[in-house]
Amino acid sequence: MKDKTLIFGNGPCAHYIAEDLLSTGEDIVIATTDKTCDFSPSEHSESIEILTDTRLVSCRGSVGDFRILAARNNKEIKRTVAGVIVAEEDQRKSNFSLYGLKASSCVITLSQAKELLLDSSHKQSIFLKAKKVVFLTGLVKESHPAIAEEIMHSALRLQSDFNLQTYILTANLKVAADGLEALCRETKEAGAVYIKFTDTRPEIHSKSNDSVQIEFVDEITLKKFRLTPDITVVDETIVPSDYAVDLAKLLSINTDPDGFVQADNVHRFTVFTNRKGIMVAGPSRSIQTYSDQITDAANAALVSAGRMAGLQIVPEDRAEIDKGLCIRCLTCYRLCPYRAIMLNTRVVVEPHACERCGICAAQCPRGAIHIKDLEPESISNEMATGERLQEEDTFMPFLVAFCCSRSAIQSGELSLRMGHKLPPGLKVIEVPCSGSISFDHIYGAFERNADGVMVLTCHEGNCHSEQGNIYAKQTVAQIMDMFLQIGFEKERLAVQTLASNMGTEFAEMVNRFEANIIELGPSRLKKNQ
Amino acid sequence: MGNKNVLIIGGGTAGLSAAVELVNLDIHVDLVEKSDFLGGHAIGYTCKATRNTCVKCGACMVEEKLKDTILHPKIKIWTGSRVQEVSKNGRFTAKIHCKPKYIDPHKCTNCRICFDKCPVDGAILHGFSKNNIPFYAINEELCLYLKDKSCGLCRDECPETAINLDPKATEYIKEADAVLVAAGFHPFNPEDKPYGYHRFQNVITSLDLERMLKQVGRVKRPSDATIPERIAFIQCVGSRDSKLNHLWCSKVCCGSALRMARLLKERQPDIDISFFYIDVQTFGKDFEQFYKDVQEEVRMIRAIPGDIYETDRQKLKINFLDNNTHETLEEIFDLVVLSIGITPGKDNGEIAELLHLKLADSGFFKSGAEEASAPNTGIFSAGTISGAMSIPETIASAGKAARQIVKYFRANDS
Ligand SMILES: Cc1cc2nc3c(=O)[nH]c(=O)nc-3n(C[C@H](O)[C@H](O)[C@H](O)COP(=O)(O)OP(=O)(O)OC[C@H]3O[C@@H](n4cnc5c(N)ncnc54)[C@H](O)[C@@H]3O)c2cc1C
Ligand code: SF4
Ligand code: SF4
Repeated sequence: MKDKTLIFGNGPCAHYIAEDLLSTGEDIVIATTDKTCDFSPSEHSESIEILTDTRLVSCRGSVGDFRILAARNNKEIKRTVAGVIVAEEDQRKSNFSLYGLKASSCVITLSQAKELLLDSSHKQSIFLKAKKVVFLTGLVKESHPAIAEEIMHSALRLQSDFNLQTYILTANLKVAADGLEALCRETKEAGAVYIKFTDTRPEIHSKSNDSVQIEFVDEITLKKFRLTPDITVVDETIVPSDYAVDLAKLLSINTDPDGFVQADNVHRFTVFTNRKGIMVAGPSRSIQTYSDQITDAANAALVSAGRMAGLQIVPEDRAEIDKGLCIRCLTCYRLCPYRAIMLNTRVVVEPHACERCGICAAQCPRGAIHIKDLEPESISNEMATGERLQEEDTFMPFLVAFCCSRSAIQSGELSLRMGHKLPPGLKVIEVPCSGSISFDHIYGAFERNADGVMVLTCHEGNCHSEQGNIYAKQTVAQIMDMFLQIGFEKERLAVQTLASNMGTEFAEMVNRFEANIIELGPSRLKKNQ
Repeated sequence: MGNKNVLIIGGGTAGLSAAVELVNLDIHVDLVEKSDFLGGHAIGYTCKATRNTCVKCGACMVEEKLKDTILHPKIKIWTGSRVQEVSKNGRFTAKIHCKPKYIDPHKCTNCRICFDKCPVDGAILHGFSKNNIPFYAINEELCLYLKDKSCGLCRDECPETAINLDPKATEYIKEADAVLVAAGFHPFNPEDKPYGYHRFQNVITSLDLERMLKQVGRVKRPSDATIPERIAFIQCVGSRDSKLNHLWCSKVCCGSALRMARLLKERQPDIDISFFYIDVQTFGKDFEQFYKDVQEEVRMIRAIPGDIYETDRQKLKINFLDNNTHETLEEIFDLVVLSIGITPGKDNGEIAELLHLKLADSGFFKSGAEEASAPNTGIFSAGTISGAMSIPETIASAGKAARQIVKYFRANDS
């Protein structure tokens, strides 16, 4: 049986992905909560299954083998798929209340305006009788180019096909999308008037007969104006659909603060999530223009079709749980950012899903999780090479820096390449993620005669393992507390953040740290003191 | 697809991202980059994180793409090279011209002695990433030996004998099944604007500031290396400009400038920053909050200054129309940063001719509906070659191009 890809969604992005995957012979399943789906593939229709009126119930397993349970009319649907793509459409929230307005026959949303303009017969259109149309956007909350684009297209139609006068009232006019500045010129040439506000805002009154009156001082001419539009079009805030938010929960995908189904983290560029094999494309992951959606669809298809190559080799250096030590406390299950821990008859790590961040091993209260080359012992042995350097008359502190392989290791090498001088007693130890650093690692360093220990992590929001840097910070804070209690200088331990391109800053950090340690003198925990 | 080969022109964010995607699908890549270093413009950008928090500028992702590229055995890297002729007879045949390799990458240990010893400022160039290998390169335009054989210090001083100042340029013929154009953009040259760029030392571009921050982590006045007390950022220099017929927003400058402004406020809090703009564009998912915060730290002025004059101690006088009082104000700044836009690449015309393509009126390659790659030409494009894009957008466009290439191969094999 061929491996299938499951696509959630029924909008343009989902359809683009489906068409694209079918064209290279992939097998796909489309699942939508809509009652109907008008997707008709131009070829390979035998490779597609469409599930309408269907909701996800649960998803077990991991990349290559997701076991999907869905429901349609209280009936269970089960499918096994290799990969999942979330491509649901977004949802619009009207901004009437932001402007103190209420929906009426002459106060409508941008979506309503677009829909009216789509209807080519125009016979019923309220625009036929109107003379003046006002668009309100970005006056209370910032607008977005995706919204601005829709407003400009609508204004252009109204100016040229309906011979109406349009006014666009905004604060920052958002033109940061392909072709928008040119489109804006075109609307101006067609007669649309843009009125921009900086420190002032228009006064918007709704009258008893539902009509709207807008008063403002034009910031350029300083003249007072009053607009009485026949129709007021109010902008919208774009949010993820409720079902997309549900899907994120059911699939254990981290979302951004607005609920879009992709954490706001550069490591998720372009269509990735914290889970291998689950992608998110189009308006499910961010506010997008139409052309963004097409690009996203191609990227989802690219990753989806290319996925199988990586699945043939089973990685050997992944986390493993010692079943003799495991007490099923499920700490690892809770903390694994990639959802690689499976609860079968025993707790196991799925090697394909594991990214070898080491968070589970550092956090397991029983020390039951092992990752090759990441054990505190093997890391301590690595330190021995730095320790041997220490036979000088003047105090040259032995400094251990645990560095995340994605950020601090890179910036450390860059700083050397740039010609920065680093402390002679600095021993850099590479870890896959700072979240893999445990009490044992840090104590081990002091036991190995370190005078100071640094933990150098990615910036917040930049951790590939989402929270690894936060766990590192917590571990360090706890050890500092203990140091305080036993009267050991907590300044000998530091945690700081870096990105891979911060060579200069790396040098500054470690040199400043060295100066602090020289001031403190050798560590009392040193064996040969 | 182990027997397919793609020729990529340009080794910036777009070329690197596409190369990585293609080799992951078992497709061979020849990556041709005209400069001495891979990474394009963005490899020189600074991390703009503030308060230990990433602001998603994307710069470090370019670093990652570069690392993945140089580690991959199936990507053949051609730095200092250009594609000179392309013909198509089923497959593409391309002539690659490589300028002389003065520094032997296998011998060079990046010890920096050449850079330190060279008597001419700028005659030895350096890269921006540890993955720029070698990290140094000889600048043919400034090297004295190449001019009149009057020097040769670097060659003599190099402990590894890695430098040869007399090698010849070389030419290779390569076959490819598809061509991807990813030659990027040209940062707008503001010399013709009345802002005194290159005439006044303390007028710099946002690109200069990115690099200054990446190199030394702090801002200083080029004229006297003092810390400026007052900085002005001027936005939309070369973008949204109908006089220049630049009818586009460069999309990235508001984000780049405001993020750098905040970084400066964090590192050098005594600096006063004013930000001259037309409209602040949305960037990043947390824009609403970012914009609120930045207004507390940076003085936002909705006006684009007319002229800049130099005053005593190489300070700069800016005239602008105040939005509230409607009077023309005059203010003095210690440093001015011009947020220059993304304009069509210098080589676009040449590359288009090479491949028998037509450019859009703007000078960019055609994109979207009028894609450079009319189906079945086997020619594709990615990145800012077809218009302003941010780093994330560039990476996405490279992914899209890689997918188009895969589909093109499948369609033409069956
Ligand atoms: C001042 C400034 C600040 C910016 N800041 C940000 C930011 O903070 N965040 C963000 O997301 N984006 C930012 N950007 C945008 C970012 O620079 C671009 O998105 C990115 O560099 C585009 O990559 P590219 O590969 O398309 O082009 P480029 O970076 O221009 O790379 C093109 C490459 O092709 C090579 N090349 C050109 N012609 C030829 C030829 N004929 N043969 C062979 N090789 C050739 C060039 O040497 C270059 O290496 C900024 C842009 C500017 C101008
Ligand atoms: S190492 Fe990281 S990715 Fe692997 S199982 Fe542990 S927590 Fe998950
Ligand atoms: S995305 Fe930008 S701000 Fe964030 S860590 Fe990378 S370089 Fe720094």
